[in-house]
Amino acid sequence: MRIVLLSPELFLHEGGIARIMRLYLKALCEIAGPAGRVDSLVLNDHPGRDERLTRYTTAQFHEQVGCRRGKLRFIRETIRLGRRADVLVCGHLHQLAISQLARLFNPRLKYYLVAHGIEVWRPYSLIERRALLGAHRILCISEYTRRQMLRFFPALPPERLVVVPNTLDPYFAPALNDQVSKAPFATPHILTVSRLSSTDTYKGVDTLIEAMPLVRREFPLARLRVVGQGDDLPRLQALVQRLGVGFSVDFTGPLSDEALRAEYAICDLFALPSRKEGFGLVFLEAMTYGKACLGARAGGTPEVITDATGQLVEYGNIPDLAAAVADLVRHPRDSEVVRRHADTFAFPAFTRRLAAALA
Amino acid sequence: MVSLRSDLATREHAVNRMVQRQQHRGPDDRGLHSDGPATLGMCRLAIIDPANGHQPMTSPDGRFTLVFNGAIYNYRALQTELALGGWNFRTNCDTEVLLAAYALHGAACLSRLRGMFAFAIWDAREQSLFAARDPLGIKPLYYARLPDSGIILASELNALLASGAVPREIDPTSAGEYLAWFSVPAPRTIYRGIANLPPGHQLTLDAAGRLKTGPWWQLPAPTRPDIATNYHDFIQGLRHQLDDSIRAHRVADVPVGAFLSGGMDSTAVVGLMTRSGATKLKTFSLIFGEAGFSEQASARLAAETFGTEHHEELLTGARVAADLPQLLASFDQPTGDGINTYYASQTARRGGVTVALSGLGGDELFGGYPSFRDLPRLQRLLPLWRRLPAGLRRNVVDQLRARPTVRARKLADFLAHARDLHELASLQRRVLPETVRLSLLAPEARAQAERLGPNHPMLEDFAFELIGADPFQVISAWELRTYMADVLLRDSDVFSMAHSLELRVPFVDRQLLEWLWPQRPWFKYDPRHPKRALADATADLVPAAIRNRRKQGFALPFAQWMLAELRPFLDETFSTTSLGACPWLQATEVQQVWTDYKTKRDPRAWSRVWTLAVLIAFANRRPAP
Repeated sequence: MRIVLLSPELFLHEGGIARIMRLYLKALCEIAGPAGRVDSLVLNDHPGRDERLTRYTTAQFHEQVGCRRGKLRFIRETIRLGRRADVLVCGHLHQLAISQLARLFNPRLKYYLVAHGIEVWRPYSLIERRALLGAHRILCISEYTRRQMLRFFPALPPERLVVVPNTLDPYFAPALNDQVSKAPFATPHILTVSRLSSTDTYKGVDTLIEAMPLVRREFPLARLRVVGQGDDLPRLQALVQRLGVGFSVDFTGPLSDEALRAEYAICDLFALPSRKEGFGLVFLEAMTYGKACLGARAGGTPEVITDATGQLVEYGNIPDLAAAVADLVRHPRDSEVVRRHADTFAFPAFTRRLAAALA
Repeated sequence: MVSLRSDLATREHAVNRMVQRQQHRGPDDRGLHSDGPATLGMCRLAIIDPANGHQPMTSPDGRFTLVFNGAIYNYRALQTELALGGWNFRTNCDTEVLLAAYALHGAACLSRLRGMFAFAIWDAREQSLFAARDPLGIKPLYYARLPDSGIILASELNALLASGAVPREIDPTSAGEYLAWFSVPAPRTIYRGIANLPPGHQLTLDAAGRLKTGPWWQLPAPTRPDIATNYHDFIQGLRHQLDDSIRAHRVADVPVGAFLSGGMDSTAVVGLMTRSGATKLKTFSLIFGEAGFSEQASARLAAETFGTEHHEELLTGARVAADLPQLLASFDQPTGDGINTYYASQTARRGGVTVALSGLGGDELFGGYPSFRDLPRLQRLLPLWRRLPAGLRRNVVDQLRARPTVRARKLADFLAHARDLHELASLQRRVLPETVRLSLLAPEARAQAERLGPNHPMLEDFAFELIGADPFQVISAWELRTYMADVLLRDSDVFSMAHSLELRVPFVDRQLLEWLWPQRPWFKYDPRHPKRALADATADLVPAAIRNRRKQGFALPFAQWMLAELRPFLDETFSTTSLGACPWLQATEVQQVWTDYKTKRDPRAWSRVWTLAVLIAFANRRPAP
């Protein structure tokens, strides 16, 4: 099978979509078969091969094209690579119309969309609707995303929307020397990992900070570690000052993979009470370390967090959030059960699901 | 109540208090049953087989014990079937039929029940509790988790509070939701820590204390192959379904009457009742001294046409003012509606009936609200609006918000927040425009309201349930799932049961809805003649003068009363002292709403002012001794 993968980014920044698209690349290389070929075209990345690329490719990988945000070049290259491909996997709705254009030059080409989350939970333009109708299948990262797409575009044939849940990067799995569980809790030590952007306040990091005074009433030594960077940081820091919880909230800034793994290993529970997670890859990352997760009963999060692996709360409900932290401290989840749950989303299972969806 | 740690005496004492607190719901009998960690209590309004049917009812093998609120209309057919399956019936009561159905079929029995119900069954063998609520939410069921992983359930919040096991703490988030929707939407309630089991949902608590809730019924598929292909067949089919529903809803061993406002829906119900054989039927309506509110002439015309024994009750502002303490005491949650049901139920019960049928649900099923006409128009304009430059759109929204009229601000909400028909349908039921609502909330509650946004909290659940539905179905579902379930049905239950009256709603019938739902939308609704289908299906019954009349609604002359007889109550309610009980409200802004109403005298603003007043008065209620 000859496959082209279109992505907005692979290595330029460490975002959720970039991380999952790297795994799509890796899985497609395995699916392509011994005689197959995989080309990767990335809109924002720089030309040339990133050193991490070898982790995510096999012998079937052929060409890596970075367009350095050059849209015209991206269109040209899509048409060029699409001409000799059987399958085109498009990593973002914004690139789907270009996929449809590529099919004009190669009528045999089947194109697929990876529908992540918030970018597809909205009404579509005429061009997007036409491109969506032309897609062979739409690979939704959660049932929630699938339903949102059907809600906003009821004309889509439901059978074409297939759920392929996100997966964990095998390279992110705990190393042997990582301390993967630590019970019972001493303090609770709460970890959150998120982009801290003013356009993404729905992530609920502010609600976690607001819950800290209540959490500390019961657990005076409780700590919250906030990993991530963005232009919302000053507002969050001001909130910490206003609530007088400066000594129990740490902002670490962005971390390397290794440092992030250490954070997962030493935390007691992971929390991201976000309103609009398409899936919530960070929950899976925390679960591989056996950590119970706290999320909001919204978006795709309930498809990842179960009663046995953590707790769901109403988005934005501060007392509920604090009560859920207390409950997870008093009734710790079995870290082995949590890890086994994460295993159900492991990379081999993802590859099998993706292969079935492309078949 | 299931409590793993409390002793039997404590539990029975708590359940006894709960039963006592909702004695009005069932003055005919009461009972208590304990087994292991569970205690079930019940007070019964005896309607079917009054001499038998004592509750809690236990199966002969002692395994299942049932408490049940409501009525199963197809109990006779089920009884025959279950008897053939080997159940030896001891009564002719629907309670035993439900017990047998659950014992033989488990939760699968739910899909075979026609009726209104909320029930709980204790399984002594599995040490588990199962509870469920009817598909459309006619009968309520509230619950709270206990610290020992147990659970406590009741038909009324007041009963849960009376148990002493649940704190009486108003949830600021719920107060904010109430200001948006006229009521607190399920699964929230006005109290922190108490949940409302949504319509069509079931609940299971296992022996380890794990609670699971989920839907057992959802709206039918949008289309089906065996639907009517022409209007004549559709109307014939509809009439058959209506006759069938009325027959089912008349089942009782006590006198059955009907509310008769003189509108299309209640007249159709009374007409269908008389056609189905009801004789010496008693009908009840409220009349008012104020011009323009009474539908007295229409109600009398209908009563004369059908030969009913018609009872009219004059309702005055002075009477409402005098009754306010009792009225407020009967409130289970604050509501901006429902006082008409309180008095109509009182009249019916005093008039000698134990069961009354009402036309509630006709507007939702047959397109009686303006939303059915207006929202599809707005939906068509949305794509054009969204194509305008973002700066221009922001400007227009800001200008609309700066206008003093609620209409302009509500339009601003539509334009700022609606992206599809679901969001339009969600926003159109709001009482207060978002900017006004936020301004009335204290900082903590406001921050929470801002996070949750202006749309209905169940937006996505409803939208997902309706994937593939046509615009009429979408609007109908939103009306059924929000205003009808959270306001009309909840109020109807609380205020009818306050007078020990069982109110039945034949339009809110699962069989009727499942037949009607997939039918072609242009058969069900004509924008030039709302509710044409119902009028045509009952054309031989309902007088032409009523069929052709414009919708009036079951309204009260509140706008006038609030400036006259109810004014002392409102002055006191909006006082600084009274507002002290509402730390989640911005007192000065709230007082300004009342001042504006008194000075500007905008008669259309009454419901917003009353909604606020009820919330404040509710927060000032003292617990019943």
